[in-house]
Amino acid sequence: MEMLWTELGIMFVIALRSASPLLAVVIGETLTQRAGVINLGVEGQMLLGALTGVAVTFHTASPVMGLLAGCMAGLSLSLLHAWLVLGFKANQIASGIAVLMLGSGISAFYGIPYVGQRIERFESLKTSWLADIPLLGPVVSPFSPTVLITVLLIPVAGVLLYRTRWGLRWRAAGESPEISRNLGENPRRYQLIAICLGGLLSGFGGAALSVDYTANWVEGMTNGQGLLAVGLVIVARWNPWLTLPAALLFGAAQAMNLRLQSWGVDISSYLLATLPYVLPLAVMALSYRSLRHTGGGMPEGLKAVFARSA
Amino acid sequence: MPSAIHSRASRLTARLRTLLPLALIVVLFVLACLAFFMINDRAPLSLFMQMVAGGFGDFYSLSESLVQAGPIMLTAMAVALPARLGLISVGGEGQMYAGAVLGTGVVLLGFDWPGFLLMPLMLLGGMLGGALYGLMPALLKTRLGINETIATLLLNYIALLLVSFLVHGPWRNPASLGWPATIEFPSGAVLPTLWASRMHVGLILAVCIAFAMHWLVTHSRWGLALHVLRSNPRAGATAGLSHTTNVVLVLCLGGLLAGLAGIAEASVIHGRLQAGIAGTYGLTGFLVAWLAGQHFLRIIPISVLMGGLLASADTLQLFAQLPAASAVILQATLFAIVLAVNAHWSKHQRRST
Amino acid sequence: MKNLKTLFLFTTLSMTALSDALADTRVGFVYVGPRTDFGYNYAQDQGRQYLDEHMDNVSTLYFENVPENAEVQRVMERMIRNGVDIIFPTSYGYLDPALDLARRYPDTTFVHSGGLKTADNLSTYFADIDQAMYLTGMTAGLMTETDRLGFIAAHPIPQVLRNINAFARGAQSVNPDVTTSVIWTAQWSNPTAESEAANTLIDNGADVLAGHVDSPINYTQTAEQRGVYAVGYHADASKFAPQGWLVGAEWNWGPMMVDIVTSIQDGTWEPTHLRGNLTTGATQLTEFGDNVPEEVRERVLQARDEIMAGDLHIWHGPVVDQTGNELYSDEMPMEAVESMDFLVQGVQGRLP
Repeated sequence: MEMLWTELGIMFVIALRSASPLLAVVIGETLTQRAGVINLGVEGQMLLGALTGVAVTFHTASPVMGLLAGCMAGLSLSLLHAWLVLGFKANQIASGIAVLMLGSGISAFYGIPYVGQRIERFESLKTSWLADIPLLGPVVSPFSPTVLITVLLIPVAGVLLYRTRWGLRWRAAGESPEISRNLGENPRRYQLIAICLGGLLSGFGGAALSVDYTANWVEGMTNGQGLLAVGLVIVARWNPWLTLPAALLFGAAQAMNLRLQSWGVDISSYLLATLPYVLPLAVMALSYRSLRHTGGGMPEGLKAVFARSA
Repeated sequence: MPSAIHSRASRLTARLRTLLPLALIVVLFVLACLAFFMINDRAPLSLFMQMVAGGFGDFYSLSESLVQAGPIMLTAMAVALPARLGLISVGGEGQMYAGAVLGTGVVLLGFDWPGFLLMPLMLLGGMLGGALYGLMPALLKTRLGINETIATLLLNYIALLLVSFLVHGPWRNPASLGWPATIEFPSGAVLPTLWASRMHVGLILAVCIAFAMHWLVTHSRWGLALHVLRSNPRAGATAGLSHTTNVVLVLCLGGLLAGLAGIAEASVIHGRLQAGIAGTYGLTGFLVAWLAGQHFLRIIPISVLMGGLLASADTLQLFAQLPAASAVILQATLFAIVLAVNAHWSKHQRRST
Repeated sequence: MKNLKTLFLFTTLSMTALSDALADTRVGFVYVGPRTDFGYNYAQDQGRQYLDEHMDNVSTLYFENVPENAEVQRVMERMIRNGVDIIFPTSYGYLDPALDLARRYPDTTFVHSGGLKTADNLSTYFADIDQAMYLTGMTAGLMTETDRLGFIAAHPIPQVLRNINAFARGAQSVNPDVTTSVIWTAQWSNPTAESEAANTLIDNGADVLAGHVDSPINYTQTAEQRGVYAVGYHADASKFAPQGWLVGAEWNWGPMMVDIVTSIQDGTWEPTHLRGNLTTGATQLTEFGDNVPEEVRERVLQARDEIMAGDLHIWHGPVVDQTGNELYSDEMPMEAVESMDFLVQGVQGRLP
């Protein structure tokens, strides 16, 4: 029995470690979609954040600066989406794809001199004051700083969204712009902040991936995780509290692929590699019955985006 | 007499008004390209001319652009058709691979069959594979309420891994000494090429299909049904039209087209199945469909232009040592410009009417 | 009239000067990834730069990030149409498009890396880097304390399998109890997967990591972070693991490329399979890391000298596969080595 708990514990650590960049993007996109805007460009924002993080860390020898720069890069790119969608009223899906392409192109273009460069890493938390905290210390110190920050973002987002008046207005902007206006608010203000916040968090996720997790830059290194994050928002039913299990699901599936190989399981690694993509579909399928009547929790304003698009 | 002049003038201005956004897009895009070259310290005008020449300057460049235009057209139509019903599918890439897989399966099964039998069966296999891969998101949507954009997205990754599995495992060519690809297709399964270039009949098929699709959605009863379901679902339901059935139809038919592109690429461009045959056609097709406003006839010239843009990317590397990512940046910029201009223009139109 | 004559003279002189400059042999390189990857493409590009520096009448150009699909044919054809005389398609998957173009452009010479087919104007070049991998395996076998080694591999093609098996056999030759676990990432380049695979192997007890992916950076860095050893491949990535770096197997394409281009220029080139090895210098061991003790270095270098002298053959029999079958009791023939499709005993993990 204890073996099982240890194994599960290990799986949890591995899954969280590899999925935390993704988690940051999911949290950001959840907040964005809650305000009624969908941004597929998070993949491009994540890539740009990853490159900027590595570049700045390389030049300043400070991973913290790199992280901050990555956030700024993601934020800047998201402004294009905001401009197209809020300013020009362009279609949100299409605009997101444009941002995605721009982000991948720019990061690939300017990233070339940074491939194969060594950058400073964060120091291990095991040797810091965090490890000395009684009870909590040994639990958190195996993780790196960005993982902890990302996990802390969840209660922040959850409380903000559900427990504050500001959060109520935020959700109103996503559910019904009319109600929002009746309340005397301008929903577009919240949508702008939502897009920017999403940009900041996806930039952070990208920088966490490149500066913290792998400590280098390779073209296209996010491998579609940004786009996946948009899907995981749906799996998490637009609820920040559920983003952790959704991202862990994906991370665990990826980790399982490698673990199963190391245990000598006789399934092709290519087929195993489909697991992280099949699982979200399965979860969405299974939760359909229970959510059929409520539409899965999708904000009404978002439904309108899909209905009137194309 | 005065009224005739007046109406002719107003028709002229109306036509100009529709051309104006197009002209604006072209001007802005050219300026963006020049700005891009200048930022990167390259001679803007001459490089731009070289880029255009690289896409359309001589027979070779033109043929290479058209080689790309064919699959782009088909994947764009795979996006435009579901869009007629308001569905947003990004599954072109996965459907291309699915079509290539099934078509290759047919070839491997009937390796020794005569060409007149093998070729059409291979194409049918490709179309069936793509259609099945369009059926999956359709069923996921209609039965389980899963959003088709996310479903097609995830299915793309799964299709790519499936191809990798096949070419590394059960379908790997033993003579290729471990290189992950199937055996080369027999000549009976290779589509004929045109005019000593890499252009193939797939391009001609794509153009014909574009015309057919255009007629289908604008003049046939089915096209009308789609329009009604999209713009006024309640009226459609009252008229007995089934949204569910049509979701399946558009996604399957779209998938069929992409599947055709997939098997064509495998057959004539590569001569076998291997990973990477879909290249960037999935996303590019999406882009083209949007640029064309989901209009089937407009897809044809825009696909050619996009093929030219992609094919000319080599000239940027060859003459200016600009990395291949430049093409992506220019594509994205074009997309953003089109979105901004179109949205702004329709807002303008709405205000003026 | 006089002005016209001067103009004519001037034009012909400048044309001659121009054509002399244009008489430079133009050599084009195509890479499947970025040339700064500290890996395969980096090594090929180092060769190109060596070529540039050591040959006066040669001008080089390169295309990077060209995927192994229809694109590469267009890229190469454009180069040919722009006057490139010699093309080096450096990735295995470029072979068939190159053969196709070789047929259509008989005046251009193609020199393909790692291919196993030739044409009248297409030869191949490669190096038996598994010899160096054997030596890195020996180092790993001598340095390991847990007797467990880890190997991160991309795709199960013969070149990769040769390296895994050579590494494992090298380790076993000095430490018969050692096991090598293989994890497949299914991609030539995927930093996240490589780091995860490295972590998984270390979690399972491996204390030396090796790999055959496009770039050794990710698993090397992970090894350093987790405090285990790393063995490099393609290039010297020791700066990423100052404590953990043991040794690496690297390419040295430059001299080979100079030989090939020179032979093309003076007409002695033949469309053969050119294979370098430790002896010819096309592959070599990198420097040892600081933490490798003297006895280990001596032993490995002695083995290296034996291989170079031809006294030690790394594929000597018996060659036993994972199920215990003895496939070859004497020396394994070179054709079988080049088409290897199995893993040897002592390697854990299956072919995907």
